Order: sequence, then C-alpha cells, then structure tokens
Amino acid sequence: MPVTKAYPFEPEEAPPEYRGIPRIDPVLCIGCGACANACPPNAVLRIDDPQNGTRRIVLDVGRCIRCARCEEVCPTGAVRLTTEFEAATDDRDDHVEVVELRLARCRGCGKYTHYTERQVEKVLSLIPRGILDFDRVREKLPLCSECKLKLTVLNATKFGEVDGL
Amino acid sequence: MIAEFEARFGPILEKRILGEKKVLYTIMARPEDFQDMVRFLLAGQNVRLFTMVGTDERAVEDAFSITYWFADTSRGEILGVRLYVPEDRPVFPSVAQFHRGALWFEREVQDLLGVEADGLPDRRRLILPDDWPEGVYPLREDFKYSESPLGEKRYPYVRPPEGTSVHAIGPYHIALDEPAHFRLFVRGEEIVGVDYRGFYSHRGIEKLARGRLNYNQVCFIAERICGICGFCHSTAYAQAIEEAAGVEVPERAEYIRTLLLELERLHSHLLWIGVAAHLVGFDTAFMEVWRIRERVMWLAERLTGNRKTYGLVVVGGVRRDLLDYRRELVERELNAMKREFNDVVEFLLSSSGFIKRCEGVGVLSKEKARAWDACGPVARASGVDYDVRRDFPYAEYGDLSFEVPVEKAGDVLARATVRIEEVRQSISLIEQVLDAMPGGGILADFGDIPEGAEGISAVEAPRGENVHYILAGDRNAIYRWRVKAATYNNLQTVPDMLVGYTIADAPLIIASIDPCYSCTERVQVVDIESGKSRVVRLGVGICR
Repeated sequence: MPVTKAYPFEPEEAPPEYRGIPRIDPVLCIGCGACANACPPNAVLRIDDPQNGTRRIVLDVGRCIRCARCEEVCPTGAVRLTTEFEAATDDRDDHVEVVELRLARCRGCGKYTHYTERQVEKVLSLIPRGILDFDRVREKLPLCSECKLKLTVLNATKFGEVDGL
Repeated sequence: MIAEFEARFGPILEKRILGEKKVLYTIMARPEDFQDMVRFLLAGQNVRLFTMVGTDERAVEDAFSITYWFADTSRGEILGVRLYVPEDRPVFPSVAQFHRGALWFEREVQDLLGVEADGLPDRRRLILPDDWPEGVYPLREDFKYSESPLGEKRYPYVRPPEGTSVHAIGPYHIALDEPAHFRLFVRGEEIVGVDYRGFYSHRGIEKLARGRLNYNQVCFIAERICGICGFCHSTAYAQAIEEAAGVEVPERAEYIRTLLLELERLHSHLLWIGVAAHLVGFDTAFMEVWRIRERVMWLAERLTGNRKTYGLVVVGGVRRDLLDYRRELVERELNAMKREFNDVVEFLLSSSGFIKRCEGVGVLSKEKARAWDACGPVARASGVDYDVRRDFPYAEYGDLSFEVPVEKAGDVLARATVRIEEVRQSISLIEQVLDAMPGGGILADFGDIPEGAEGISAVEAPRGENVHYILAGDRNAIYRWRVKAATYNNLQTVPDMLVGYTIADAPLIIASIDPCYSCTERVQVVDIESGKSRVVRLGVGICR
C-alpha cells in the first residue's frame, strides 16, 4: 500500500463506505426539517419566511461534522452523504447548500402555514385510500395552527364533546 | 473501600446506590467531616481520585455541590462523596492541600462555578481566558451559553527563581502539536522549575450540552473532544447515560465497540511511537511506523466511514453493523501489521541513539505518579498497575483475555516499552473479538431518562482513563456532563518529569505522556476580533 501519492495532481478515490460531504436532493426534499432537528452541530438550519411564503433548508458543509444523522432521519432519502471529501474553497458561500420550498397556504384564512406544499403532498400520499374519508382529510390539511384550533373547537361543540374544556 | 468507609462514616451520611459497586454519599450538614473522609479514602493502598464534579444545583438544593469520586482499583469499587456548598458562602475545604492530584479540579471549579477551595495552594486561574472578567462564572445556570464578557487581560506567572532565565515553549512551538505554554526556568542547560499555562483551546462543550443538545446529539459532539481518542469519549459518555437510564446494551454492539476501541488504541500508540522517533531525530523509524499506522487508519475508514471520527456510538448500542466482507479486511490488515510492527520495533530498539535519548530521561517515580493520580501508560511505566479495562470492565473486556504491561523505571523508554507491548495486546484483543463476535441486534430501545439520574463511567483511552459523569435533567436534556480526560492528570506530572533534565530533553519528555490538550480543555470559548467580543452565531451572514 503506497502512502506517498501524486495527489492532488492525480485524483484520489475515497472508499465506498466513506462519509463525505452531504448533499440535499432538491427534488426529493420536502422541507420537513427532520435533518435540522437531528444535526448535532447545527449545520442544517430550517429558516421560514412567513411573509413571502418560503422555507429554506440551509446546509453549511463547513460546519458539518459528517456524522450522517441527517441521512438517517430523512423520510424521503433526500439527504445523502457522498464520498466527496474536498471542501477547500476561497469562497465561504461554496460551502452552503440551500433548498428553497414554497409554504402551503392555509385553506381557512389564506395565511402561510408551517408546512411546505410538498409536506402536504407527502402526508396525503401516505394516507391509505378507502380507510379514511379522504376528501375530508384533504379539505382540512393545510390549515394554520389558529384555524386548526378553531375547527377543533367548532367540531367539538358540534358533537357535544366539550367535557375537558 | 465502600465497606470500610461505611463502617466509619456511614451513619452521618445519606447514601445513594448508583449501580453494582458504585455508591454515592452526600453530606448535608457537616463539611468539617469532609476532609477526614477524603483523607481516610486516599490513605487506601489502591484508591485514586477518579474525578471531581462541581454542579450548580441551586435550582433544586439551594446550593452548589462538589462531588469527589474515588476508585478502588483492586476491588473495582467507585465511591462518591458529595458536599453541598451554600450559595451565600461558596467555600469548601481544599483537598489539594494534602493530595496534589486534586489541584486542577479545584482550580477549575473555582473558575467555572465560583466555588472556592479554602487553602488551595495555587489560587491562579486555570481555565478561563486571561481577559475574562472577575466574578463571572460560565458554568452557573444563570450564565447563558452564548455570552462572552470582556475583562482586562492579566495573568500572574510564577516568578522565576534567582539566577535562572525563562525559556518559553509554546503556546505555539514546533515541538508541540497543540497550544500549551511551558515556562522552563533554566540555569545553564538544566531545567530547575516549570510553570504551565494551558487551556488555550476551550470549546465550551459541557455548557453546550446543557444549552442545546439532546442525549444522542452529545455522542457526536463528545467524539470531537479529542482528535485521537474520540471514540473513547463517545463510548464513555454513552456508557454513563446507559447506566443512568438502566439500558442493557446488546452483546454484538459491545463487541463492535471493543473492536473499535482497540483499533483506536492501535493508531494512537503507533502515532506516538512515530512522534517519539521523530523527536529524537530518527525519522526513518518515524516514517516506517506511520506507514503501519496508515493501515489502521485505512481500516477504520473501511469499517466506519471515516479515518478518525467513527460516528458509531449512540446511547444503547451502535448505529451500523460490521458486515462480513469487513471482517476479512480486518484479518488481512492485522496479519500484515503484526509482521511489519515486529520488524519496526526491532529496528527502533536496536538504535542506540533512540535508547540513549530515552533511557533515564524524564523519570517519574511511583510515589509522584500516585500523588498526581497519573493514569494510562504514564502510570504503568512508573509501576502503578492499573488499567480501567481490567479493573472496571466495560464493553466486552471482562470476557477477553489480555495482559497489562507494567514497567518500573518510569523514564521515557519505559513509557515507550509499555506502549509497544500494548500494541501487541490490542492486536490480540481484536483477533479475539473477531473470533467471538456474536450475532443479534446492535441497538437497544429505551424510554425517557429519569430526572436526577446519575451515571459515571470510565474508558481506558490510549492515554489513560477518560471519566465521564452525567446528571440527567428534565425533558431529556443533560443537567451536568463532566469530562475528565486522561491528559488532565498526566499533564500535571510533566513539571515533575522535566526538573533536573536539559532543554534538549524537554520536547521528548513533554511528548512522552502523549499529551492531548484539546481533550483536557473543553469548557469555554470567547471569540475576539479587533478588541471586540463577538458571538459567532450560525446563520448570520450565511442566509441573506
């Protein structure tokens, strides 16, 4: 096993097991932020902009410790650790990967909710058809927390189930 | 130790049982007994000061608590003595007056918690930066982890003795791999005294764990405490939590942990042997040893996905399994390594240059090693027969057979010999693990960790014992996490080793304990640019 190599003049391959720089697949990402919750060094952030209705998942590779917790918790397999290891750059911004997603609008009041449109789609795709009243669920789904609260109270009073209140 | 202690002091104390052979006693009212108890415990033949924890328990107990943990190495018993120090008068009697190993612990608790040790021989600042203001204590609960106050810069160095000059090594020096500042007082070539100022690389890890991490996130942060023995730290941390939560780790996970712990010892010792050869100017041996070390690093990368940070331990087991094709890799590399290692050791030890530079240099007597609570190869080279793997078995060490090499000379050569023999033991341990590896699950399931649960665990890192103490808080967050790395004790012996030898020997003597500064220094950080303090906050400047 030679130790002295011509690297960086000839390419160097990392083994297949290597945990390298993580990449987020912007097509698969639903913006749930599970990665941001799991990340020990806070390298992944979930930043909402409720005015413009966007959510950004911001991954700072320079802060990342390559533990692969994000990969483990991602429900759609959007975050994957590559075998890339060369992170040197003269521009700090090269380390930052951003996925921008639209927030879903509330069906009740029209304000932006805490979920992205893709999260709503994902939840709908998870519900098995025929077991639940699918259209009713669909109607309720993108509701902001305030409208959800109102609806719950309304439903509860309708059916007389207000014992706890 | 526990039985004798109980017979003598038991009735006046409150007793808490943490586990088999692990007991904690708390003194609620009578601090005057405290010194007697510590004296009584330390008088024991095989008793050592394990670690010391200061906790801000004002929210629960209206007091700070100081806990001294002792370990009886011959019986495998661990005993804690906890003293509550009232908030309005935070003073407790110093142990360092009669047991030098407690010196840094007490200086640390004074820095970080503002609890004073009465009668402390050295009252200077240990951990906080030189320009940290007086009266601000970062580990108190009312101090936010993002704060960074500024004070005036001053640090009282020891005055050099009459007729000597000061020769400074560090904070940055070609012979040091991390920042540390040794001020050698020399008369001619001879070192007559040493003053040490360290703790330049604090990262605020203990406060961080209290501030914003959850249990499993800490495993990965713990791994970053040390650049060499990170896996030992994450394992020690996970074991402490497992003890607090009463988690039974699956056997296969224990075997995988053992395998990787030994792999880490291999690469660390090979690194050290190489560095030692380099420091005596024997660079051929240095390159040869590091070539062998590269096999271990490569193996670690294939097994875990990274050369150094394995990222494998989580509370309750390990994250990834070792698949069969990897077993063949381990066997192949070990076989090649065994042969090459024997050759290089023969080559190294046949060099009279190496032997003469190491023999009789930096002698640490057994008494001094015990007084400073030295551990690991440093203690074993001085005749202290102590190894956490054997005396407080964890992971699978209880079921495997290995020998603990002990030398008597206490010089640099003895430390090298101990490490060389440990490499051989590690190879044998890995082979045993491969043979006996059982099947089954690798991760145990468990629920919430009860508030107030405590755990203490030690792992024999390549340099000695890493002791992690954990006190669980509410909502699955850590209340207090205390890390004691092996170098914390070993570094304190260095001034004793240096005195009487020449400046030319100093780098080799310092290196002979295999110091790991970042391991030792893990508590607080201030970011200062152009005289102003600034908190580095993630997201600012990145997300426009």
